[in-house]
Amino acid sequence: MTETTLDALRSTLLWASLATALVMVPGTLLAYALARFDFFGKKVISTLTSLPLVLPPTAVGYLLLRLFSTQGPLGRETLGFNLDVLLTWKAVVVACAVMSAPLVVRTARVSFEAVDPRFEDMARTLGHGPAATFFRYTLPLAARGLLAAMILGFSRAMGEFGATIIIAGNIPGRTQTLASAIFSAQQAGQEDEANFLLWVALAAGFAAIFLTEYLSQSRIRRAPR
Amino acid sequence: MNAEPRLEARVRLSLDRFDLHVEFETTHRVTGVFGVSGSGKTTLLETIAGLRRGAQGLIRLGETVWLDSAQRRRLPPEARDVGYVPQDSLLFPHKDVLGNLRAGRQRALDGGHDFTHTWEAVVRVLAIEPLLGRAVGTLSGGERQRVALGRALCSGPRLLLLDEPLASLDVGLRRKVLPFLHRVRAEFAIPMLLVSHNPVEVQALCDDLIVLREGKIIARGEPRAVLTRPEVFPIAEHEGFENMLPGRLLETHATTSLVRLGENDNGPPLVVPRSSLAPGSRLLLSVPANEIMLALEQPAGLSARNIVPARVEDVKAVGPWRLLTARVADDAPPLVAEVTADAIEELRIAPGTALFLIVKASAITLYEDHPDGER
Repeated sequence: MTETTLDALRSTLLWASLATALVMVPGTLLAYALARFDFFGKKVISTLTSLPLVLPPTAVGYLLLRLFSTQGPLGRETLGFNLDVLLTWKAVVVACAVMSAPLVVRTARVSFEAVDPRFEDMARTLGHGPAATFFRYTLPLAARGLLAAMILGFSRAMGEFGATIIIAGNIPGRTQTLASAIFSAQQAGQEDEANFLLWVALAAGFAAIFLTEYLSQSRIRRAPR
Repeated sequence: MNAEPRLEARVRLSLDRFDLHVEFETTHRVTGVFGVSGSGKTTLLETIAGLRRGAQGLIRLGETVWLDSAQRRRLPPEARDVGYVPQDSLLFPHKDVLGNLRAGRQRALDGGHDFTHTWEAVVRVLAIEPLLGRAVGTLSGGERQRVALGRALCSGPRLLLLDEPLASLDVGLRRKVLPFLHRVRAEFAIPMLLVSHNPVEVQALCDDLIVLREGKIIARGEPRAVLTRPEVFPIAEHEGFENMLPGRLLETHATTSLVRLGENDNGPPLVVPRSSLAPGSRLLLSVPANEIMLALEQPAGLSARNIVPARVEDVKAVGPWRLLTARVADDAPPLVAEVTADAIEELRIAPGTALFLIVKASAITLYEDHPDGER
């Protein structure tokens, strides 16, 4: 395998990890709010979060491009300084984060909804305030589902192509990812490269889904009656 | 017992089918809340625990105000110092038994309680030692309820809220867990509010009974007197009325045991099913009211083991039945027998009549206080 291919693999792992880290904390909090509370605009927020799931990834990429372009809301002229996102590794991370957010939020929401809120009531009567209850009771009780959310989000980030190619391009050694490397190898007729990357993608994808299947096996998260 | 801090609750809360509107004060060790399911009992408990938003009114324990909606004051559940034991235990599945028991430790310490002392008492009284390392999922129903009770006690509560602590257990297990509640009552100086629809439980544990129907209090008073009231008796009908009697084991034979009734060992002796306790042990026994026969003269040649002389105190009409209250000793609780109106009429039974109560030994259930757990 060529050095650039291995480099793309290593970078993809790093960027997907960064994207997952970026999404997990706000995604988990949002998922908890969606699972537990009723508030104004809840359905709109829920819909917006899930939108990348159904939009063409290139459309999301184009939207991000507009956002980060020089005159865009996050561009140099609006902010007064340059975030220097477009066509860099940062663009890859942003694209991957946005595209994996729906999977993370939806999976995390389901895992919070599976935690009987009466456990939280119980923790409150034992002297724990709302924050302590969330961190010491709700989070551990939802842990398996949250781990599944993380794995799914990471896998989605690993495979992101459409949005990435628009805002980060496909620059070997700089912004090339597993997905865009397969595209390049196929276009260039480098079958060995493409086959190798295919096996890597298959193995990673299989492992991820298999793990989430295992994690979603029904465990006692509610009190047996 | 009038040494407990005064619990005062005047609350109003809209529910789906009716409004909960309850006003009471109590200074008793154990106050029962009795009623059919759906009468608002659990809601009342949750309101006192602070788990129901939207409750209006006043809740106060001693000098501490937990809710005063007129002053817009509402303490969150974590600041109310209650120990809550729900019907389904709600043990935390991500912690083992030890972790569950320690879940309220910080609150106990913050409140200035001697956690180690309480811990040792809880482990001893509830016989929890052998369970400590167990995963919550491996516990039996009775063990779960003991751990839930222990968890509440260890959190340094000023008030225990018990929601049908025995309802999820089958009859056999209930007989084994009830004595633990009795021991908690005796050994921890914490006032309790006990929700139940079981006449045995409330008689065995409560000093004072509140009866709820559709969110309102319909009767209040000493449990035996309240349960035999015509408007309350039908609520317990499917269970029937059970006489709960304290006693001391005198001796044990091949198939039966002999128990002396009364708190002070001055009641009549009663032949009961064989007990596994040592002679001298205290126990509770129950006699269903509809298993007691009456005779004006001492019968002979009878298979029933117990023929107890008694004097009638009261006869109450409850539907087609008559509830007869008869005293068997001066300071032992009276027994209630359920008989037909015709029987009362034919035998010309009235307050003051001297008669014999006939009870088969096999109709009696023992509630034995085993120090070594549910065996």
